[in-house]
Amino acid sequence: MILLENIHKSFGSLEVLKGISGRIPRGEVLAIIGPSGSGKSTLLRSINLLEIPTSGKIFVDNTCITDKGANIGKLRTKVGMVFQQFNLFPHMTTLENVIYAPLKVKKMARKEAEILGKKLLEKVGLKNKVQTYPPNLSGGQKQRAAIARALAMEPEVILFDEPTSALDPEMVKEVLEVIKSLAHTGITMIIVTHEMGFAREIADRIWFLDEGHLVEDSMSQKFFKSPKTKRAKSFLEKVL
Amino acid sequence: MLLDFERVWPSVPYILEGVQVTLAYTGVSLFLGFLWGTCLALFKISHIKVLKWFSSFYTSVFRGTPLLLQLMLIYHAIPQLTGYTISVWEAGILTFTLNSGAYISEHIRGGINAVDKGQMEAALSLGISYPFAMKDIILPQAIRIILPSLVSESIDLLKESTLISVIGGADILRRANIVASEKYLYFEPLLIAGGLYYVLVMILTLGARILEKKLKTS
Repeated sequence: MILLENIHKSFGSLEVLKGISGRIPRGEVLAIIGPSGSGKSTLLRSINLLEIPTSGKIFVDNTCITDKGANIGKLRTKVGMVFQQFNLFPHMTTLENVIYAPLKVKKMARKEAEILGKKLLEKVGLKNKVQTYPPNLSGGQKQRAAIARALAMEPEVILFDEPTSALDPEMVKEVLEVIKSLAHTGITMIIVTHEMGFAREIADRIWFLDEGHLVEDSMSQKFFKSPKTKRAKSFLEKVL
Repeated sequence: MLLDFERVWPSVPYILEGVQVTLAYTGVSLFLGFLWGTCLALFKISHIKVLKWFSSFYTSVFRGTPLLLQLMLIYHAIPQLTGYTISVWEAGILTFTLNSGAYISEHIRGGINAVDKGQMEAALSLGISYPFAMKDIILPQAIRIILPSLVSESIDLLKESTLISVIGGADILRRANIVASEKYLYFEPLLIAGGLYYVLVMILTLGARILEKKLKTS
């Protein structure tokens, strides 16, 4: 379970998050939506401390990760992340990308790691790209490899930061299919997305952010059928 | 006047032995300078103020004073200050390492900054510690980016290593000079020395070009 308590984040004089509190139960799929600049990505990146909140507390599994002296390395092995720009390591093969962290962080034996890596790459449909370097993959393949890389650490939570925004339209589907296959398998998923159809289909819960505030926290069906707030309503009218 | 290579001919093997010496100075200092330059670069991007300050001050001193002066200072000052009699070899390696480290650190810092920020974020998000991320993810990419400037750095060092002849190191130039004063013939041995440096630099350039191509395709 993830608990956010009054998260504020400022970049210089610009306040991006203006006090966000919320709770994400274990195994739930949460989609964070909202207009550009509403703070979605910043909020997501706070959960694995790629952004350090200016104030407020974040708990993952009852451990306060925003405390001074919290074990950030350990937190990050539990919270995986998939980026908009994939961020695969270009000088390593797809397999090496996937098994690097299990080898170095979890000290897994190489043989065991390779078996795990190949299994995961097969799962995301990249069985025959094991020895390929990322520059030779398509966007969709890169993102699927990145998902396999995140899964290799067997995280409890995966953060998806606009995972399809940098993809050509014809590749969006293959990535969404892979993400969908992970939902409700026990992993908590937090997805920042502009794909409303996808959010509606996959998410249990929707957080609607606007101007740094969590304006609406509703179950997905309810949110798309009858949003509680005016702002969410007008947003949905624009994007749907 | 005609060139008289015949009289110099018997001394060519002697000059050629200098190639080894020149390459040893260049190679060892480059290797050590690379390690030291990497450290300095990491100091420069660290959040620890003292290290940052030290490395930029260090770099400005070594880039802001003549290499020959640094060499002479180290060769003459160390015995005077510490009582340790430093050999020409030690003084040369020490000076060239300290000096090239300063230059290389600037290249490496630039290379690290040129690597996409997302690379470090991806590494950290996997729980990889900063030192491992630096060593295995960021630096390999940074070095690829700055390979051309590292090559030009090593070419500079190869040529600057001639300064060792001033304090008596028996490199190519020094040997050519010795032959010159023995035979009272200056032009020919110096031409030979020049030719040798040119060939060495060309080999280095060619090697780098092949390496670059190889890296690009992988």
